[in-house]
Amino acid sequence: MATVSIEERRNLARLSHRIGFGPKPGEFEELLSLGFYRSAERALAQAESASPDLAASLGLKDLGNQPRPNSPEIVDYVEQKRFQLRTMTLWWLDEMVTQENPITERMTWFWHGHWATSYAKVDEPIVMFNHVDSLRKSALGNFRDMAKAMVLDGALIYWLDGQKNTSAAPNENLSRELMELFILGVNRYTEDDVKQTAKALTGYKVVKSSGLVSRNLRQSFTGDISYLGTSGKFDAISLTDFLVNRRDCQRFIPERLWYRFINSSSDLPNNSAIENAFADRNILSSVQALVAHPGFIDPVNTQVKSPLDWLISVLRALEITPSQFERPDYLINLLNGLGQRPYFPPNVGGWPADEAWLSAASTQTRLAAADYLAKKGQLAPISNLSAAARLEGLANWLGVASWSERTRQALNGAIRDPQRLAVLGICSPEYLVNA
Amino acid sequence: MDTLTRRKFIQMTGAGAIAAAAHTLSIEEIANAAISRPLPLGTPILVVVTLYGGNDGLNTVVPYQDSVYQSLRPQLAYKESQVLPIGEGLALNGAMSGFKSLWDMNQLAIVRGVGYPNSDRSHFSSMAIWQSASLTASNTGWLGRWVETQKEDPLLAIGLGSVLPPLLAGNRRSGSVLPLGGLKVPTGSLASDCAKLSMNSPSDDRLTAMAARTMRNLFEVSAEVTPILKDPAPPANDLPTVVGGNAGGDSNLSAQLEIVAKLIAAGSPTRVWSVSLGGFDTHADENTAQSALLGAVSGSISKFMSQMRSTNRSKDVTVLVYSEFGRRVRANASQGTDHGTSGPVFLLGERVKGGFYGEQPSLQKLKDDDLAVTTDFRDIYAVLLEKVLITSKERVLGKWGSRLELIN
Repeated sequence: MATVSIEERRNLARLSHRIGFGPKPGEFEELLSLGFYRSAERALAQAESASPDLAASLGLKDLGNQPRPNSPEIVDYVEQKRFQLRTMTLWWLDEMVTQENPITERMTWFWHGHWATSYAKVDEPIVMFNHVDSLRKSALGNFRDMAKAMVLDGALIYWLDGQKNTSAAPNENLSRELMELFILGVNRYTEDDVKQTAKALTGYKVVKSSGLVSRNLRQSFTGDISYLGTSGKFDAISLTDFLVNRRDCQRFIPERLWYRFINSSSDLPNNSAIENAFADRNILSSVQALVAHPGFIDPVNTQVKSPLDWLISVLRALEITPSQFERPDYLINLLNGLGQRPYFPPNVGGWPADEAWLSAASTQTRLAAADYLAKKGQLAPISNLSAAARLEGLANWLGVASWSERTRQALNGAIRDPQRLAVLGICSPEYLVNA
Repeated sequence: MDTLTRRKFIQMTGAGAIAAAAHTLSIEEIANAAISRPLPLGTPILVVVTLYGGNDGLNTVVPYQDSVYQSLRPQLAYKESQVLPIGEGLALNGAMSGFKSLWDMNQLAIVRGVGYPNSDRSHFSSMAIWQSASLTASNTGWLGRWVETQKEDPLLAIGLGSVLPPLLAGNRRSGSVLPLGGLKVPTGSLASDCAKLSMNSPSDDRLTAMAARTMRNLFEVSAEVTPILKDPAPPANDLPTVVGGNAGGDSNLSAQLEIVAKLIAAGSPTRVWSVSLGGFDTHADENTAQSALLGAVSGSISKFMSQMRSTNRSKDVTVLVYSEFGRRVRANASQGTDHGTSGPVFLLGERVKGGFYGEQPSLQKLKDDDLAVTTDFRDIYAVLLEKVLITSKERVLGKWGSRLELIN
């Protein structure tokens, strides 16, 4: 293979870890031979859509009302809930780990952090699963469709107390977050707009166990509302349509993409192609523009891998399928301990980024996990190599652009011990931070 | 219900759901802060012990002379010879000899009949009410709201365990969690490898340098604090040497309190500690299980208090022990009891005015077969907020008028 420049290696490492979940064995070498442009094209090609009713295929079902405390039925009920939550968690981790081209899951994960709704309150496996699956269906589609689905999504409404919002007693939780966190961005509306739009969201009811949403017209406000320079009769759908049409929406979603995929501490440049590509609210176009943007390959835009990013990339390299692992619950608990368990964002703002993930406690946890997982995974990509070829082999296996002199020295000390080498590689600063 | 663990309770209570995310601490971070900015001597410290599952109050503070008690739960009721009498016709469970000594030293207050109006018999709802100090079970915990009245400091309030207890959840800021066990600074070749891996490198960008520094800190801080962590916990000089633990019942409460004792002794700038013990949901074969648990509670807390006496902070520490509800007076068919209403709350410490508080709920006047609530739990929180945490009760409890005067 012709020598690839360090810049090209870094660009491909970004593509592999940020747009995917890190390379599987051999994959980074393929990217090196394809080059950035063709690799990007491949990474952004969508897999065929998954089965239309995933929940049913996973055996998730409406568990009905919670039985009374002390009743004989409650033990079975709680066990079923636990089992279903575990099933849907491992299924998702499996998808992230095993898919050749995980762009749909990468974007679904992004949107899960955007419409950050937690099982901790939703408390119904099928409702939580359907919420995320709804995001999956339009993960790279049109943001308008996604926003309309979300504003009538049982999990999201329940999470933000939408079912308590009635014309007699308005609850502004959902209307505020709809504008601040989901569609427009903070300060792009007034407090009065929050009050007014809350009226358009009155009367929606959720069946907790199924997530079924309906509207009780008697509790709904049916008069005119005035907000953001318009007035008239609005319901959840027409309100969402109006908000998505706002110019601020065209800026806000690209800002969030920039924050998660490029840099969490600098602003999206004005008039960027990312924003322009979002003119018709097409998510795929905007993500394509993001990957093509100079910021995507600018060396200053390094990123700390979040706990989930780190773990999934480790499992992909080690070829460990979560549900087939000897202790699947260990993996879920590990993510929980590191603060990033799927279906459990910490609050409606979603997960933090970068520095927040660097603490002494998480370093200890990652070291212990790396030590355990390296014993259980496939080390062939480095153990098959001669000692002399292992440093480069390790970088390619893990999708690391380059090792610093510091890390080379540490790795050289373990060069004859593939397992130790793997532990050091996945705990190295160069792996934890995507250069 | 018996299959529910304490951890699931915490998750299912859901109070943490919309709260600010918890910061996860390592013991090294705390020990390091203890060295660099120790808590000033004389600063009061609150240790909250939550008993998950609904502790049976009647077999904890036992009305052994009451004939109704004997007749409603014939196979569960304790006889005089099995309990530790403390006056007014009441006795401590026979396993609670440690608490009995503290009672005799006038350092144990027992508040009787504690609960809230319209008792909720769901573990989740009732625990949410206790931990939020709100009858509508708000999303924040009472001590989480207290954290928000204070200057920001992740070490201010710490819950032991992997999940933030709802009582420490705040809106914008919450208490922190200290995971128990499992987190060890690597030793041997992994340690020396990591030391190399985490050195400064001129080629590092800002975030990569930070990642390296975090790992380096782990080892440097660890070298500094190893003496604290390796040293034995403060001695419990004035306790007779006892053979360790109760068979099977000794859970990790003693381990949690051991860590708290070490970190308090070292000077951790922490004013609230939260520890817990599960397993009190004794629907069946109650007596063996409950006395083992109460033995663990009494033994580990009295050891902790004794350890505090060998430090210079024994006057600073107050301990609160509560559970989400008491249990039914009448036993069920499986030598257990079902979910009930009020129960006793314990406060321990040198500043606590020992003795009984609140009226013992009468067994003659049961309400729907359950004990009456004679003291509202917020009366206890109110005095802890004002006398231990030195914060006006209104800032945490809103309009709450009364408090129990049980702390000097």
